[in-house]
Amino acid sequence: MLDITLGQYYPGNSFIHRLDPRTKILTTLLLIVAVFLANTAIGYGTLCAMVLFIIAASGLPFMLVLRSVKPLLFIIVLTLALHILMGQGDHVLYQWKFITVTEEGLQLGVQMAMRLILLLMLSSILTFTTSPIVLTDGIEALLRPFRVIGVPAHELAMMMTIALRFIPTLMEETDRIIKAQTARGADFDRGNLLARAKNMLPILVPLFISAFRRADDLAIAMEARCYRGGEGRTRMHQLAYRSGDVLAFVFAFAMIGLLAFLRWGLKPA
Amino acid sequence: MSMQLEHVSYTYMPGTPYEKEALKDVSLEINKGEFVAVIGHTGSGKSTLVQNLNGLLHPSKGTASLDGVDLSGKTAEAKQARSRIGMVFQYPEHQLFAETVYEDVAFGPRNLGLDPEKVEGRVRDAMKFVGLDFDTFAQRSPFSLSGGQMRRAAIAGVVAMNPDYLILDEPSAGLDPGSRDAVFAEIMALYKKRGIAIIMVTHSMEEAARFAGRMLVICKGKVILDGKPAEIFLKEKERLLQAGMDIPEVCKLADALRARGLRLPYEITDAKRLLAEVKRRKGLK
Amino acid sequence: MEPVIETKGLTHIYLGADNNRVTALDGIDLQVMPGEFVAVIGANGSGKSTLARHFNALLLPAEGSVKVHGLDTLDENSLWKIRQNTGMVFQNPDNQIVAAVVEDDVAFGPENIGVPSEELKARVEEALRAVDMLDYREHAPHLLSGGQKQRVAIAGTLALGSDCIILDEPTAMLDPKGRKEILNTMLKLNKEQHITVVYITHFMTEAIQADRVIVMSEGRIEFQGTPKEVFSRVEELEKLGLEAPLAAKFAFELRKSGVKIPEGIITNEELAEALGSR
Repeated sequence: MLDITLGQYYPGNSFIHRLDPRTKILTTLLLIVAVFLANTAIGYGTLCAMVLFIIAASGLPFMLVLRSVKPLLFIIVLTLALHILMGQGDHVLYQWKFITVTEEGLQLGVQMAMRLILLLMLSSILTFTTSPIVLTDGIEALLRPFRVIGVPAHELAMMMTIALRFIPTLMEETDRIIKAQTARGADFDRGNLLARAKNMLPILVPLFISAFRRADDLAIAMEARCYRGGEGRTRMHQLAYRSGDVLAFVFAFAMIGLLAFLRWGLKPA
Repeated sequence: MSMQLEHVSYTYMPGTPYEKEALKDVSLEINKGEFVAVIGHTGSGKSTLVQNLNGLLHPSKGTASLDGVDLSGKTAEAKQARSRIGMVFQYPEHQLFAETVYEDVAFGPRNLGLDPEKVEGRVRDAMKFVGLDFDTFAQRSPFSLSGGQMRRAAIAGVVAMNPDYLILDEPSAGLDPGSRDAVFAEIMALYKKRGIAIIMVTHSMEEAARFAGRMLVICKGKVILDGKPAEIFLKEKERLLQAGMDIPEVCKLADALRARGLRLPYEITDAKRLLAEVKRRKGLK
Repeated sequence: MEPVIETKGLTHIYLGADNNRVTALDGIDLQVMPGEFVAVIGANGSGKSTLARHFNALLLPAEGSVKVHGLDTLDENSLWKIRQNTGMVFQNPDNQIVAAVVEDDVAFGPENIGVPSEELKARVEEALRAVDMLDYREHAPHLLSGGQKQRVAIAGTLALGSDCIILDEPTAMLDPKGRKEILNTMLKLNKEQHITVVYITHFMTEAIQADRVIVMSEGRIEFQGTPKEVFSRVEELEKLGLEAPLAAKFAFELRKSGVKIPEGIITNEELAEALGSR
């Protein structure tokens, strides 16, 4: 049986792991702002050092975090290439037909690529150190104040929790359905795109029907257990900020401050 | 004609922290015309075993073959061999997908490449076998049927492929006694009429005793007992109980009667016979 | 003593497949007393599941009344109190588990009724201990066996504070080991914590352990009584599409053939004692 932990949670007990999920979500957002503030080599160097520091504090293997960049590697390389080969600028380094390599283009390309890589690494550190369930709690807690303007925080959290609960179950069921249809001679690797799409019906139809049936049963079971929406609900797990969270926020704001200074404060008079 | 497993071992997710050896060096042969019950706990490896028998899973070690053809091969011959083994999974009604019962039952035969006339013939035969009247049910949506009917429609879908060997994984799971009897009646009819081999995975000793001519008991990935059900219940009772299995109610009753002094012949695994013997002992006909 | 559940003339009607009116329950009068372990048996379509759903107001009567702990199910204001006192465990072990962690799921019920968070932890722990699943509190439900999942569901009703638990064919989708687990858990809760149990099943081996067995057919209660009284009525059971235990069937057949056998035999030991020479 597969134990599928979504969001690639990597268990651990580091300082980062133990932070409140709200802290981690908010500081990730703050650090993303910091990433966008950098515009010099020193700036990006600082950011890289920062990311390495955070990885060290989290106990995550460096290669693990680096590998999270892989899915978007193509886009990163493409961005880099486009900027290098077609970028506008005054200092031309090389020219051939329509390909103009300028210094500005090169710099911009590298910047864009660096930003993408840093953003990916930051967000994957978030999901590596926070299990999906705890993350859901954090998101709900952050959205709760916005209920007054109509944000359905509780309902969103409920949806996420139920999804997390059922995704492994549905994946097992998909596996069973595929096996059953294969045993009836179905071949899912054959044919052109259209044929393959059609071949998915014997898997998708039973799966959808099953999912709807489960949803029906679950709704009745929830009602039988006195569920009536988010009003008046209490929570067994309470989130609480601790000193470590304060430190994390201070760190995040300090980074923003530092990078803002590097961007604007160092301009020659 | 036979199905063979030669020193088959199967390991799930090798090389990961979830690695599990579900089958350990299993060798056995099943001939056409046998009715074999496969008994074992959840997690004993019985599902893995039957999925190796029909080529759905390929052995990690050893070979699974049908009449000498390796079932894990990629050749047309291997494909053909696999198509001769039908498999009905647990809760087969969960695989129904087509708009009409006809279309769903026709899925298998069509995948075999048969032309429309032959497909129709197969569908009609299969539906007749499972007791779903063609004119009433062929054009209905499979999802408008009752639970028991849906199960039979799903079984028809596999029967329509005319397998020489039919594997059924707990065909009576979740059914009430009435529907259960109906499903078994159909399976027995199929067995008797077409002479195919039936391999039935079950938890129920009663079912094994009633229908099977041969019983395989699986425990922790190994076949620990292989023989006639009646013999196993009588001679290997200790080993059965040790493996966490039970004996049929009939046998328990016979044991209780014997313990109180009633002398009964040893080979009884059938309720009618036990009743007859008890009556005889009490001086009645 | 007030009955925990009391129905008077309970009738349930719904529109069937061809838009015709189907009477699922036809004037049911029954009482379940506190601390009783009642089994309800009947063929498919006898109405036993429908009956169960009236006991916690998931369904409402078309005619007649259902009172649970003295509260009328038709009274909107009593709805949540009824569902708190009367918990329900359904047939499909998967489709009643809401959360991705066992202890979170057990907490779901009491969270819904606003139990303060300190008390929640204690309730969850107690409930899990009562069903012998405390070691699994941080496990993911999809990795549990069917029997374990059902026990988590039972724990959920205990944590809610239910003193009456209704189980609708809880073992239909389980293997023999799981079936034993659930029946033993309910017997234990019934004996040790005086939980009233209404247990719907088609396994006679389970019903035989109840205090009282109610036999249903086509929306009506055909007869009821102790397991001894009910299961020795072999012919009637067979007519209703149900089976009596093997020993009861044997006793019946032997008596028919003239052997002198006392009434009320339903177990192997009783039959052996009656027939044996030792």
